[in-house]
Amino acid sequence: MFNQMFAILQKELKDGLRDRRSLMSALLFPLLGPVLCAVLLNTVANSSTRSKPLELSIVGAENAPSLVAFLYTNGVEIQAPPPDPHEAVRDGELDVVLIIPEDYGERFRAGKSARVELVVDNSRTSARTNISRSKKILQAWSSQLATLRLLARGVSPELLQPVAIDEVDLSTPQKLAASLLDMITMFVILAAFFCNMYLAIDATAGERERRSLEPLLINPVDRDMIVLGKWGATVLFGAAGVVMTLLFTTITMGFVPLEEIGVRISLGPPVIGAILLVTMPLTFLAGAMQLLVASFARSFKEAQTYISLILFLPMLPGIALTMNPVKTEDWMMLVPMLSQQLLVSDMMRGDPTGVLRHALAIVSTLVISGLFLWWTAQLFRKETIVFGR
Amino acid sequence: MITATGLHKRFGDVVAVEDVTFTAEDGKITGLLGPNGAGKTSSMRMLYGLVAPNKGTAVIDGHDVREDPQAVRRVIGVLPDAPGIYPRLTARENIRYFGRLHGMKGPSLEQRINDLIDLLDMGAVADRRTAGFSQGERMKVAIARAIVHDPRNVMLDEPTNGLDVMSTRAMRHLINQLREEGRCVLFSSHVMQEVSALCDSIVVIAGGRVVAQGSPDELRAQAGTESLEDAFVSIVGAEGLV
Repeated sequence: MFNQMFAILQKELKDGLRDRRSLMSALLFPLLGPVLCAVLLNTVANSSTRSKPLELSIVGAENAPSLVAFLYTNGVEIQAPPPDPHEAVRDGELDVVLIIPEDYGERFRAGKSARVELVVDNSRTSARTNISRSKKILQAWSSQLATLRLLARGVSPELLQPVAIDEVDLSTPQKLAASLLDMITMFVILAAFFCNMYLAIDATAGERERRSLEPLLINPVDRDMIVLGKWGATVLFGAAGVVMTLLFTTITMGFVPLEEIGVRISLGPPVIGAILLVTMPLTFLAGAMQLLVASFARSFKEAQTYISLILFLPMLPGIALTMNPVKTEDWMMLVPMLSQQLLVSDMMRGDPTGVLRHALAIVSTLVISGLFLWWTAQLFRKETIVFGR
Repeated sequence: MITATGLHKRFGDVVAVEDVTFTAEDGKITGLLGPNGAGKTSSMRMLYGLVAPNKGTAVIDGHDVREDPQAVRRVIGVLPDAPGIYPRLTARENIRYFGRLHGMKGPSLEQRINDLIDLLDMGAVADRRTAGFSQGERMKVAIARAIVHDPRNVMLDEPTNGLDVMSTRAMRHLINQLREEGRCVLFSSHVMQEVSALCDSIVVIAGGRVVAQGSPDELRAQAGTESLEDAFVSIVGAEGLV
């Protein structure tokens, strides 16, 4: 009996490997996710200027040595002035140019407002950070001077600042990178669904459309064994997709300067092993779910439409968590796809997960896979399976 | 031996088969003859257990299709109405797959496959993928995989449909050979000439009922006509169903 199941499994695998469509989706998808995530993470790393010193070109630095000294001690890299400051900013060569006029010292000594000029182009988004950083540091110099002058006259500097604003910025690049981690996880989970999609359709709706289902069912094979064989092949394709996605992720993450953006991703062999353990039941579920849906459909195209709709399900937790991270709770482990998303993300972050959560996730996913399989087997027992519904 | 007794099948409100009773004996070719839509394919499907009859039953080599369809499937070889084969597998792999589903394996299975390839004269294409096969070549693959397990009973649903002259001749030759090997051959057709050329016994079906059965001579005598074709028209036409 199980020999027949293996014969079916083997045939479906061979058929799937020879089908360009099945093979391409199984091979290309695992590449796509990790590469995309690596590119995004690299972009984050490059744009995180926070750690980079502010570069400021100053025209007339000799007019205000104390200001320049203040800038220098605050970590600003002072650069030689361009020949034409306006042109340099307009062309985007420089983000900001500070011009200190010759009368600076004179007005400063007289206790008047000493003017400096900040040449910027506010329409350039990429320059915004440097512009606001330059403004901030100049204002810091200004208020430091004001404070000193008031103190010299015996006045409390607090008079100048009736309201004190403390900005608490939460948009650290680490946060962004962490949500990208959710995305990697989403791709791993999606691989379980995507890489076996064509095989699942071909083995059911495709078989019916090709009119080879009737001859197959005339063989003295238990219908349960037919379903199990086809399911086995589907699961193997999905599992191969998950393994490849993880493999490519470890490779591409080697090209991302993770330390620079302050992200740690644990991808050592023990973590990979644990991730596989958590995601394998998911491949069972993915296979059973797609087999069931494709068995309902009358034609290959119809099955394809249904399955591309249910592909949103495994994406949902990933997208939701990227937008709105939540703290993992035990009950979430009972929801397949959500549980794997949370567990894999937590494991990659190196956060503790706990045996109970793993067990809950595995058992609940297995139970639901079993239900789907049973339902598919029921469909195959009906005589309408040959004609579709 | 195939014995059908009072087979009746409804699909929703549509009665596909009203009442079909006949016997097909070993070592003989029995033809199911009838116009399109007469219920031939539905009757066949009940015989090989793909759909269950609402009333009546069929017994093949002592196994009842309603009680033990798996046992029935082990003793029959079927070429169904629409015999799809797997285009990405070679002819040999297609046949091997069905052999394995019948529990065959190893050298004996390979030997059987080779014999069938020789018998059907398809050595030249045996190891090619079937995607580009002609209708005749596809039919040969389908028939080979249907009889790979050497069944005592062979059912062929419109086996010469869409075949050219040469392929039709080859098919007739095969059907005759299956009879000579002592098998029970049941085949359906709507082509008069084919049935009259091959069959030892004819079952005429119209409107889901058996309207006449017997040897070609008996049918002619029953209808009181010279030719079998006239007999057919007279029998089926008398029911007012064509």
